[in-house]
Amino acid sequence: MSVYVVSVGQISVPIASQVHGHLDTRKPMSRWRQRCIVIRCHYNKRPGGRASAEKKNYYELLGVSVDSNAQKIKEAYRKLQKKYHPDIAGQKGHEYTLMLNEAYKVLMRDDLRREYDASIGQMRGPYGTNYSSLGYSSWKGPLRPQALFVDENACIGCRECVHHASNTFQMDEALGCARVKVQYGDDDQKIEVSVDSCPVNCIHWVDTEELAALEFLIQPQPKEGYGVFGGGWERPANVFMAAKSFTKQLNQQAGTQRNARANTEEETPAQAEARANAVMKIKMERFSRLWKWMTHIFGSNKLNRE
Amino acid sequence: MSEPAYTVASDSETTGEEKTSSAFPEIAIGIDIGTAQCSVAVWNGSQVELLKNTRNQKMMRSYVNFKDDVPLGGVSNQLSHEHEMLSGAAIFNMKRLIGRADTDPVVHASKSLPFLVQTLDIGVRPFIGALVNNVWRSTTPEEVLAIYLLELRAMAEVALKRPIRNVVLTIPVSFNRFQVTRIERACAMAGLHVLRLMPEPTAVALLYAQQQQQTIHDNMGSGSEKIALIFNMGAGYCDVAVTATAGGVSQIKALAGSPIGGEDMLQNMMRHLLPDSEILFSNHGISEIKSMGLLRVATQDAIHKLTSQTSVQIDVDLGNGSKICKVVDQEEFQEVNKKVFEKCESLIIQCLRDAKGEPEDVTDIIAVGGCSYIPKIRNLLMSICKKQELYKGMNPLEAAVCGAALEGAVASGVNDPFGNLDLLTIQVTPLAIGIQAVGNNFVPIIPRNTTMPARKELVFTTVHDNQTGALIVVYEGEEKKVEGNHLLGYFKIIGIPPAPRGVPEINVCMDIDASNVLRVLAGVVLPGSQHHGIPVMEVRMPTVDDGHGWCAEALHRTYGSSLDLDTVQKKI
Repeated sequence: MSVYVVSVGQISVPIASQVHGHLDTRKPMSRWRQRCIVIRCHYNKRPGGRASAEKKNYYELLGVSVDSNAQKIKEAYRKLQKKYHPDIAGQKGHEYTLMLNEAYKVLMRDDLRREYDASIGQMRGPYGTNYSSLGYSSWKGPLRPQALFVDENACIGCRECVHHASNTFQMDEALGCARVKVQYGDDDQKIEVSVDSCPVNCIHWVDTEELAALEFLIQPQPKEGYGVFGGGWERPANVFMAAKSFTKQLNQQAGTQRNARANTEEETPAQAEARANAVMKIKMERFSRLWKWMTHIFGSNKLNRE
Repeated sequence: MSEPAYTVASDSETTGEEKTSSAFPEIAIGIDIGTAQCSVAVWNGSQVELLKNTRNQKMMRSYVNFKDDVPLGGVSNQLSHEHEMLSGAAIFNMKRLIGRADTDPVVHASKSLPFLVQTLDIGVRPFIGALVNNVWRSTTPEEVLAIYLLELRAMAEVALKRPIRNVVLTIPVSFNRFQVTRIERACAMAGLHVLRLMPEPTAVALLYAQQQQQTIHDNMGSGSEKIALIFNMGAGYCDVAVTATAGGVSQIKALAGSPIGGEDMLQNMMRHLLPDSEILFSNHGISEIKSMGLLRVATQDAIHKLTSQTSVQIDVDLGNGSKICKVVDQEEFQEVNKKVFEKCESLIIQCLRDAKGEPEDVTDIIAVGGCSYIPKIRNLLMSICKKQELYKGMNPLEAAVCGAALEGAVASGVNDPFGNLDLLTIQVTPLAIGIQAVGNNFVPIIPRNTTMPARKELVFTTVHDNQTGALIVVYEGEEKKVEGNHLLGYFKIIGIPPAPRGVPEINVCMDIDASNVLRVLAGVVLPGSQHHGIPVMEVRMPTVDDGHGWCAEALHRTYGSSLDLDTVQKKI
């Protein structure tokens, strides 16, 4: 591509967390004022084409998760504006504020946001694969197709993996077993060694899509007690099977809800919602705790669409 | 008139350097130059304080009297009587005249004022004269404003016991960029550096944001978002803004404005009371000026009284044998000014629509400015927003200047330990900016109500084969055709490589920074080419220093369509 001047996307713009360090608000304004601003035109972008690769992810820029609703985005936008707006941060905030404005404009408008989500390959639909906010582990670097998962049922708490890759694994001292803290927190070699070092082979490579469900289900759930009997905590004996059936259920659920929505177009939205809720509740009776979780995702997605 | 060498950019740089050495930042003062009256306010370290002149006035009439050798403005001058201002020696309403050509209807409406406004209807600046010893002495709105600002500055320096340099001024929403440069010129003539020019309702919005912030602090409640409709109508201009406020951030959603105001209502009433008043006063004889002054004062009085009573008795002897005795009631007043109220209504509706908000979403309606006392205006606002009352927490005459003082403190980098200055206004552009393309069509690049700072770009192409140059003619406004918009400047792109028409890509980028400086950049891109030997043009706008569109006509006469541009169809 022919670049006549430095493009906007190529100026290294620190993401929110990095800016905090050297962008002390208010005070340095005078220093920045001395230099006249240099405006760079973005010349290598074709009209209509979204040069997504070279641009900062809007969600990262605003520091919000991809499924945030308008209210969250608005709050984040205002908070950042209060730090970097040229009125406060001086002329240096100009470029950053321009990007904030662009990100805000796109994410606040539903059609633009959908287009943008598609361009960065992010699914935000109600039944999408994006559980990232619900899982336990965080990601270092980009999302990869494979992820690490410790089957805590099998783990004997030998600490070998934590020893070899301490940035990836951590011990849950209460439960006495290891857990993935950060996906790809160490380099590939260290991770390989740590996986191999497990004496019971309880560290698995799993598909990223399954990860959230697995991590969710492996956490011990409170068991319903009857008087003094029962109670305590439990988790599925075979977490992989449980995850499979759980995902299946989720997809069925999605189908039902979609049908329910289609059938009930004549109803008022409140009625439709009540009915869909009732259908779901019956189905989800068994997973009473999951129900809360479901309403959480469905609820937030509903907000997104509005 | 030889123009003083003055650029805002270099000034702001030196100001910045001064600040590094000084431990105490200079706090910019806020000035509200109204068509009828002015006020000055400053952040005194804990709150906003309005400054008073030697006669203990916070609100000072906006006029400059040329009667004596030294022109005296309304800050220091004491009017012996209201009629003195209307003797022809005093120039007022300069805010309505500044930066306007003599083809402008607002200038024509000013011709019935006691001083001389002469128009030749060719698009140049009008001749403005003050009557001194039976001589029409010429002046310009900039000069009048500069004299006035100089007095305000002197007053503020006495009150604050320090030199004043930086100011935040409020301007009407409908001001175009050329008018803004006139205001900046007037400030430069008065030795003031403009830190920010705020549209008046956005200054009010900032004050509102601060008030909301304080309420939250007091109640320890959560800072939920509040939508406010701000309506500001003074003597010369009517502005509307919709703002979303949360956590001390006032995010302007939309702006709308028009040069209508109390002055129009006054003139409508005068015409209503004395139908041939315009013909009578147009020749500006001494006796006519006197009788016009009498009529003006009586009408103004009546309008003021009508804000609190249902009818008023007007009884005035014009001195030339004609006498006016009439009872005017509310309905008659509203009927006479029907068009003004209709315009106000359409502005409010347009602004709400632009903000993509429903009238029901509005939390507070804030009405400020002198005309906000008119019952019809108040009812109009409440009925559009379906509300029972207006916001009460502000003094309608002081709100704008207080907001300007807050912005002055924020933009000067002042910190308040109690968080009272933890504020920010996110402005939007009041008018669209674009270039001429596809014949004489106006192609907006930065649309109206775009969040500032803003940067937008658009790709254009050539209309002729082997076209090597192109004219970028920049306009500001809302009309589809360039003629209806305001010319800001022009420059030529050269060195376009010879290619069939439609192939070269000319990228036009516009950048507005937070202090509202507009830069236009243009460069050539030839698809597939790796060469980048053609430098990009960067031009700070506006470049025209006369308010007329003659240059555009001359360009068209000289070049025809040989340097025209076309828009590029968006590729999917």
